[in-house]
Formats: sequence, structure tokens, C-alpha cells
Amino acid sequence: MIRAAAGLLVAAVTLALPAVLDDSALAVYILLGLAAMVTVGVSLLMGYAGQVSLGQGAFYAIGAYTAALLSLHGVPPLAGLVAAPVAAAGSALVIGVPLLRLRGHHLAFATLAVQLILLSLAGQLEITGGDIGLQAIPQFAIGSFEAGSAAAYAYMTWAGLALVMLVTRNVIDSRPGRALRALATSETAAASSGIPVGRYKLVVFALSAAFAGLAGGIYCFYTGYVAPGSFPVLISIQYIVMAVVGGLGTIWGAVVGAAAITLLVQGLNSLAAVPGMPSSAPSVLSYAVYALVLILVVLFLPHGLLPALSGRLSRKRDASPVETR
Amino acid sequence: MSAFLTYLLNGLAVGCAIALVSGGLVVIHRVTGVVNFAQGTFAVVAGLCTSSLLGLGLPHGLSEVAAALVAALAGLLTGLAAIGRRGTTPLSSLIVTLGVGVLAYAVEIVLWGDQPRSAPGLAGSVTVAGARIQTQYLLVIGVTAATFALLALFFGRTYLGKALTACASNPYAARVVGIDTRLMGLMAFALGGLLGGVAGVLVTPLRPISFDTDVTLIVNAFAAAVFGALTRPVITLAGALLLGVAETMAAGYGYGSHQLEVALGLMIVVMIVQVSRRPAVSQEPT
Repeated sequence: MIRAAAGLLVAAVTLALPAVLDDSALAVYILLGLAAMVTVGVSLLMGYAGQVSLGQGAFYAIGAYTAALLSLHGVPPLAGLVAAPVAAAGSALVIGVPLLRLRGHHLAFATLAVQLILLSLAGQLEITGGDIGLQAIPQFAIGSFEAGSAAAYAYMTWAGLALVMLVTRNVIDSRPGRALRALATSETAAASSGIPVGRYKLVVFALSAAFAGLAGGIYCFYTGYVAPGSFPVLISIQYIVMAVVGGLGTIWGAVVGAAAITLLVQGLNSLAAVPGMPSSAPSVLSYAVYALVLILVVLFLPHGLLPALSGRLSRKRDASPVETR
Repeated sequence: MSAFLTYLLNGLAVGCAIALVSGGLVVIHRVTGVVNFAQGTFAVVAGLCTSSLLGLGLPHGLSEVAAALVAALAGLLTGLAAIGRRGTTPLSSLIVTLGVGVLAYAVEIVLWGDQPRSAPGLAGSVTVAGARIQTQYLLVIGVTAATFALLALFFGRTYLGKALTACASNPYAARVVGIDTRLMGLMAFALGGLLGGVAGVLVTPLRPISFDTDVTLIVNAFAAAVFGALTRPVITLAGALLLGVAETMAAGYGYGSHQLEVALGLMIVVMIVQVSRRPAVSQEPT
């Protein structure tokens, strides 16, 4: 009962916010939703499949470039948006087959390498527009309805996030979801009880890539351009920070983590934009915040913010998320 | 022919710098089981320090040594954050070192700005068998050879080195005979910082260094270390030299814009081959 009421309240606030926010606040709101979308995938991947991916930004980029290229070549934007997660998941399947044999720090470096290779290629190929990237991407539209305002993109983003959360919840609560939980604890034990470990890890990898791809697709329509510079290595680290801060393997934790970090960095950025501060202040502050939050949370709150808070409130220790191994 | 020889010697020098960074990676991983994402940062810190100290008018030699010591201190601090707290798993430590690397960005931009910096090295060039090579490249090769020789002596002949090796091979047994494994881990981090620092000091005159150069450095170093499965220094050295020569040749013969992709692709292939040759059961993380 309380849960349902809380859910309705959250939904109502989410729907009401775009109508009352001004454009700069809406931009934060949209970026927050997009970050949350990717972070849910990272949280699923790290929390359940136990895989650290430092290349999530690459799938975000693949989604963005796919949607941008398709709509620049006359494909209806809706088809472009659908193609974004599909392309991201497809590339994840292709890369994942050899890559997911690696584990721990090997996988972390390999995914980092994949992102560096992809962005370096995007900066050199003619079709992706090189370092300048793709510009003048048409507005998102379905038929004659055109998403011209930021509010429309805000609704689009949060609808996407709701979809991602729903899919994730169904995956976690299903039989494969329980298998994943077993897998996260011990791969050997899971394999010996008949769980196809490799296939499940691949599916989770592809799923988290699809979430990132969807976010990337919305991002390219919202900003109207994509360039390699939009997807630095730091963006992938930022998703890990958000997932770890929120609590790995929890859906709401990912959203709370993304919200907390985005708002914190935004707040500090506007602080740094005060006249008299050096021009490098915003980037310095965001680097420092990401780093300090990541270090402190990993060391002192290994289960993340949300589980720590709810554990404090209800003294409940069941359904604990998987250890950050 | 002389072009080939030039590329070869330049490549060896580049490989030596990679070898120093990845040597630090291997030392830290052997003793603590942690892969240090901040390893490239040590080189950047040392390089930036050198440029500042020389700018202040300190003589050559003194500036370089001081910068390498600053990097060693940075290594020690990274170690304190990564393994200072009891019960931190290697993967958590990895994420902490990642955080340290990003934190270093903030510190570096505040202290040195975000533009690349360089430092003067040895001037002039010599001609070896018809190939012109800058003296600084020869210095890099010489210092690296000396460093690796000293490392071999340190690990093989001193009690401290043997204690470090003991931690690497069996932490439990090392503790039983009275070796403080945590202290040894911190020493490994300091040593890793020093090695990264030496690399940074040597490389800065060759190519300007900026706060985000560490990504290229750490990725190349990890690729080299992967050849030696992150535990074997000699194979790591060979891997680094191979990588340096391959990249310089690729650049020299007109594939310059693809050297990073070549190194990264090679690294992924080597890792996958290594994993597929190991039985599945032994892969369970401990």
C-alpha cells in the first residue's frame, strides 16, 4: 500500500516537473534521466553479472551515431530511435562473445580499449563526420508531431527510463534473474547447477548496451549533434560512479545514484561559474567530485547509498545486493 | 635502411618508456594483486613536475630526481587509498585507483593548467650506422636498461626484495613468517610510482605531456604487461619493446593515425588467447 502510494507520488512528480522547470533546469532533468537509463544497465551488469565495463560510453555513442546517421539519411526519427538500442545491443553481442571470456581487470581494460578504438575510428571516418561529428540532426518526430520543446524531450527521456526500469525489474524477478543472482555469487557453482553462465552474461551485457544505446539515441535528437568529444572516457567512469554510489544490483539505487551525482556536479558547476573563478573550475570540480565520491563510497559504503540508507531505516538485511568484488 | 634503423631505435626508446610504466604495474600487481589504473598518472605527475622545477631554475639531474621522488610519493598515497583499508578486495582497489587517477586530473589542472607541457632534455643527436638518433632516445634506452638491472638485483639479492617476492607468491605464508604484507604492498606502490616517475621524466622531452596523457600510457603499459600475464617482468619488457617498435614502425611507414588501435587490438587478442588456454575452473576469482 505504502509502496504503491510512493510509486504514484514519484510518477506524479516526474510528470509534473517538465511543466514547471525552466529550460536550463530541464536540460539537467533530461541529462539526469539519460544518465539514469545507462546507470540502470551498468548496475545490472556489475551487480548481477559481476562484470566491470569501462566502455559503456561506447554503446551510448553507438546509439547516438546510429540514430543520427539514419535520420540524417531520411529514415523517420522513430525508426532511428528504435535502431539505436538494437545497434548497441548487436555490437555488444559481437564484441561480447570474445570479450566476456575475460574477467576482472582484464575485462575492464578490454572494454576501455573498445571505447578508445571506437572513438578514434569515429574521429577518422568520413561517414561519422570525423572530429567535427554529425550536425543538424532533425528534430524527433512521429508522423506530423514534432518534438520541438525541451519538455517533449523530458517526457521522452523519462518514458524511456520507465521502460528500462520495467524491463530490468522483469528480468531480475524472472527465472533467469535468479540464475543471474546465483551467477554473481559464484560462476562455478552456477555453472554446475546447469546455468548457461556464458550465455546469460552475454545477454546482460547486450541488455545494458541496449539501455545505453537508447539513451544515446534520445541524446542525439535532443542536442542535434554528435561528435567524438561528446563521449570521453570519463563518461563511462561517471556511470560506474553513479551505479556504485546508488548501490549495485538495485534499480532504484541506480536512479538515486544518477540523480545524486548529476545534481551534485551541476550544483558545483553553477558555483564554479560565478565570476572570478578560473575557466577550468567546472572541469576541476567535476573531476574531483567523481573521484572523491567513487573512492569514499567503494571504501566506506560498499553496498551503495540507497541500501545503506534503507538498511539504516528498516534494519532489513535481506535481498542484499551483490558484493563489489 | 637507415630510415628503418632510425624507426627501430626510436621504437625501442618508446618501448622502454612503456616498459617502465608497465614494470610498475607488474610490481604492484605481483605484490598486492591490484591492477593500478593510476600508473599512467605517476608518469604525468613526474613529467609536469620536471617542467616546473626546470622552469624554476633548478639544475638538470636534481629536477629529474626530485620529480621521480614526487611520483614515488604519489604512488605511496595511491597505495594508502587502494589497499590501506583492511578487507578491500582487488576489484574494489582497482576502482579506487581509477578514482585516484581521476582525482589527479583535478589536482594537475589546478597546479599546471590543461595545456601540454614539455621539458628540455639532452640536446643533439648522434649517427649510428647511418641513422640519426636524438641523444635523448639513447638516454631513455640506457636508463631503462640500468633500471631493470637494478630491479633484478633488488628482487634477487636483497632481503627487502625477497620479502616483496614472498608476498607475491604466497601472502599467507609471508604473514606467517612475520612479513607485514600491507607494508610490503605500500612499498610496491611507492616503487611503482618511482618507475612511472622515471618514465615520465624521460618521456617529457620527447613528447609534450598533459594531464590526460595517462590514458594512452596506462593502456599501452597494460597491453605490454598482459604479455607477461601481469607477473613476469622480463616478458613484459619484451612486450613493451615489441609494442614500441610496432607503433613507431606503423607511424613511420604511414599508418600513424592507427597506432593506438593497433596496440589496443593486439592487447585484446593476447588476453583472449591467454584466457582460452587456461582451464575454466581455475578462473574463479578468489
